[in-house]
Amino acid sequence: MEVIQQLLKQLKGIVLTGKENTRPFECDGLSVYRQKPLAVVLPENIAQIKQVLKICKDNNTPVVTRGAGTGLAGGAMPLENSVVLGLSKLNQVKSIDVENQLAVVEPGVKNIAISEAVRQHGLYYAPDPSSQIACTIGGNVAENSGGVHCLKYGLTVHNVEAIKMLTIDGDELILSRQDDGLGLLALMNGSEGLLDIITEVTVKLTPTPVLARVVMAGFDSVRDCANVVADIIKAGIIPAGLEMMDSFAIEAAEEFAKVGYPLDAKALLLCELDGTQTQVQAELDSVLEVLSGASTLKVSESEEERLNFWKGRKSAFPAVGRLSPDYYCMDGTIPRRHLADMLEKINELSKKYQLRVANVFHAGDGNLHPLILYDVNIEGELEKVEEFGTKILKLSVDMGGTITGEHGVGVEKLNAMCHQFNAKELAIFHKIKAVFDPKSLLNPGKAVPELHRCAELGAMHVHHGKLPHTKLERF
Amino acid sequence: MSNRINQLQQLIKDTNNLHINSEWLAYTGVIEYFPEELIITIKAGTKINDIQIQLAKYNQTLPFFIKTADMSIGAAYAQGAQDLSDCVLGVKIIDGTGEYLNFGAQVMKNVAGYDVARLLVGSKGKLAIITQISFKVMPISYMTQLSAPIKRAITSQLHQQIEQKLKQVFDPRGIFN
Repeated sequence: MEVIQQLLKQLKGIVLTGKENTRPFECDGLSVYRQKPLAVVLPENIAQIKQVLKICKDNNTPVVTRGAGTGLAGGAMPLENSVVLGLSKLNQVKSIDVENQLAVVEPGVKNIAISEAVRQHGLYYAPDPSSQIACTIGGNVAENSGGVHCLKYGLTVHNVEAIKMLTIDGDELILSRQDDGLGLLALMNGSEGLLDIITEVTVKLTPTPVLARVVMAGFDSVRDCANVVADIIKAGIIPAGLEMMDSFAIEAAEEFAKVGYPLDAKALLLCELDGTQTQVQAELDSVLEVLSGASTLKVSESEEERLNFWKGRKSAFPAVGRLSPDYYCMDGTIPRRHLADMLEKINELSKKYQLRVANVFHAGDGNLHPLILYDVNIEGELEKVEEFGTKILKLSVDMGGTITGEHGVGVEKLNAMCHQFNAKELAIFHKIKAVFDPKSLLNPGKAVPELHRCAELGAMHVHHGKLPHTKLERF
Repeated sequence: MSNRINQLQQLIKDTNNLHINSEWLAYTGVIEYFPEELIITIKAGTKINDIQIQLAKYNQTLPFFIKTADMSIGAAYAQGAQDLSDCVLGVKIIDGTGEYLNFGAQVMKNVAGYDVARLLVGSKGKLAIITQISFKVMPISYMTQLSAPIKRAITSQLHQQIEQKLKQVFDPRGIFN
């Protein structure tokens, strides 16, 4: 193909083509969907990115920008006949401004590497998605990634001071929090590679807290645990982290990580408090009072013990993964007051579909991650899981929440988008894309469903009660 | 949907030229406030002072720099500041064709669709009528000293062109001035 020839000719040594070479890029963290691209280009500088964009634009070839490929919604999955623009080689921390607590980094810098680079100054980069040892800051901005400390420290959008971006035309634009105009910087956060290519990020840094302690509390009922979450906030406390797990997730995590979680508990709460000695002690006193009804209660007495308490929670996904050939991770977010009702509904659906569910979630901000266990090799099981999942997401929207709290829409939640937005709202999204990318070459078809897709889905939903991903290959 | 929203929609459909301000909007009051969720949803014409009085009952506050509490929340949103944008969770708007649209949600984390709720912060009444806004609020005890935002005029021609095209997305007839 012409586009491959031009890439190979003009960008020697940084272009991968052919089945074997492009295979590592055929999917992201949502590995159930795969597609090989025409080529993968791994530029080492901005000039090369501009060359790639020019060649792709001239040949009408879609561009899928990729960081580390850890996304969970297929946002970085290649499209048929697309070129993958991998930015992992742009991995330099360019400058650190200790006084103003800012760092300027290239898009391929790993999330954790920012904190490592500034640790000596008593600072860190607060957003901490679970994939932080691998995921890149460019990908974080594209997805507006979250983590376990969002309630107190915010999402990616709250911790980005400025970005440099390229349009599909190769023109550079600098967007800053200080711009006196529309919120374009916020618009780029979470735009899933459909509007721009991020070439530089200025992140805000946070002073490392002197002390952090975790309270671990077990409960005899899920409802009691969910109610306590509201009570903690009502008491005027904003924990650094507030995480909840159900009994299945507790068992799986404990078997995997052996950290001393109470196996007889129906629900477990992890509540992290951080700050100065005095702040932490004051918060701890209030929290322990609120948690007086817990069946088990432990407070970390050392940094080692604190990390140990977290180890189980952080290994919950792989732990559940050991119990089943496949699992499907959901990301709905609901107003916290509906937590207990939602968990009951999920349990009912679990029984109906005969599929086990482990619930792990960011209770502080109502962000649920039910993990539905299944086996992709069983005929029809994936379709069953998707139907189950779509019901959970629909419920989230009906409760006043959203289909995705932090993982993004990608290819995975296109159908669910039809429940959250009406045709007029979706049309606005398409027009916004056209402002930046009129020929629709940047990650086309992701994040925002075509209107006809939603119309067809509505019809199909009535006739068959099934919600297939019509355009996607299955493996 | 309230009558006032219907009136506003009709008004937009019937007019070629509209200058929005909060008195004219005549749409005030708190729609929902859940202190234990840290979320409040307010009609855009509500005075900031009235919101703060409600929040203070639960030792909470709007966590952005407030120049004057005598201003409506819609006006503060339209004038825009990054720290205000940081706590916006969702908006309802009427666009330049009279459509009543909903973006964002009443939850802390939401990445479904482009972030229109934050895009319109600073839109100065020229893209759409903002009718209601949901904010994340904070306990007063967690607030640090806030300072007036620094703002820089946009000089890049490309940036200006993009803003102009985005206006056309929301206000294709060019009625908001």
